Amino acid sequence: MKADFKNWFAALPAIPGMLACGVRQPNGKCLGYGDDKIYPAEKIEKLLKQFSELHEPLAAAEFSPRWTTWAFEYGHIRFVPRADKWLLLLIVSPETEAARELDRVANDFLPPTK
Amino acid sequence: MAKEKKSEHERRILIVDDDADYLATIGDSFRALSEGRWQMCAAASAEAALKILQTEAIELVVADINMPGQDGIQFIGELHRRHPQIKKVVMTALASEEKNAASRAAGANLFLEKPVSPEGLKSVFEKLCELIDWKNTQGFQGVLRSVGLPDLLQMECVGKNSSILELFHEHPLGRIYIDQGQITHAVCGEIFGERAFQKLFTITGGTFELLDFEVPPERTISRPWEVLLAEALRQREQLAQRAQAGKKILTADETAAAPAGQTAEMLISSGAGEVLYHWQCADAAARVTLLQKIAERAEKLIPELQLGKLDRVEIQLADGRAILQPRADRLVFVRVAAPTEKNES
Repeated sequence: MKADFKNWFAALPAIPGMLACGVRQPNGKCLGYGDDKIYPAEKIEKLLKQFSELHEPLAAAEFSPRWTTWAFEYGHIRFVPRADKWLLLLIVSPETEAARELDRVANDFLPPTK
Repeated sequence: MAKEKKSEHERRILIVDDDADYLATIGDSFRALSEGRWQMCAAASAEAALKILQTEAIELVVADINMPGQDGIQFIGELHRRHPQIKKVVMTALASEEKNAASRAAGANLFLEKPVSPEGLKSVFEKLCELIDWKNTQGFQGVLRSVGLPDLLQMECVGKNSSILELFHEHPLGRIYIDQGQITHAVCGEIFGERAFQKLFTITGGTFELLDFEVPPERTISRPWEVLLAEALRQREQLAQRAQAGKKILTADETAAAPAGQTAEMLISSGAGEVLYHWQCADAAARVTLLQKIAERAEKLIPELQLGKLDRVEIQLADGRAILQPRADRLVFVRVAAPTEKNES
């Protein structure tokens, strides 16, 4: 993991309203930040796997989503897969700075489109 | 001029708590933190609070849970029914996930733990400031911070309720009549029927209020509410994309005049998977199977996530966006293609 990416990822929890964030590398290694009680690292890792599985049927259909956002009553989950198998998961409180920043963060994570 | 400016920013806040010392402390603290801009009112019980609300223009109510007589959550529920426009916060010393969920279900916009330090007090004050200044720019501000106009319409229709939804944007804009779960009439200025419904639905940045039902002067809408709602969501999505692409905010008249034409697909199915309505779905049955699969998988995650019910799934595509709304009795799916260069101009 490059230092630039680490710094970028480490800055995400500071965005107001960011409840948790996690990233999975192609080798399966995960990195997560979140409240230790509600979102410990193991839970973030599990969520990355679960949302990857949720994403599969959509990817298998003709949609090829760039990302999906799961809007629950008290939190929104943004799942962003990359073609090179990197995965990003963000959990934010609705109507917060973090919720407004979701698109920017997802676009930062994805490689630039041609 | 200075006086006028000050009064513009004055807020009236009501704190409800049976602990007199706490009321005095928090009142003084919030007054100081707001530099006198918050006028603090206090009530030692739900009953006393409701009396104050009859005479004072309160913007925000902060209530404790444990109080003699009506408890804080019951009080918030009653307040929510009587004064849906007032912002509501539950603040307790003994926070738990159950109390949070119960408070939210009763209509609280925020659930907070009572602060025990000056820093905590400042943090709570900042959260309350954010809430009080919060305006929903994505859609109509409703009885709940997290509930939008589509949600409220769905709740009324699925619950087979009868009510009138009145919409405002500085002044009244129009009304949507719901009779036993069916949308029967809409009026927006001089426009009636489905056109009025669509126009009301696409205006952003307003507020709405649920009124007691009255028989409308005429019935101007007959199509099922699911179809109306799906079309309205589709149009709203298109307008949002157009506004974003064009970097301008559309006015109410512009939204009504904006042409449709970017919807790629629309589908409504029953909870059992029966296709109720579809438009441009090459294989509607296969699409329902796929959407049901996603909804079922997501449903299984809900208890673990502790984030409440799943409202919708938004899918960002390379060439547009799609929204899936899974409900127990139906699935609504709308896919919108990204505006083309020609459409944007």
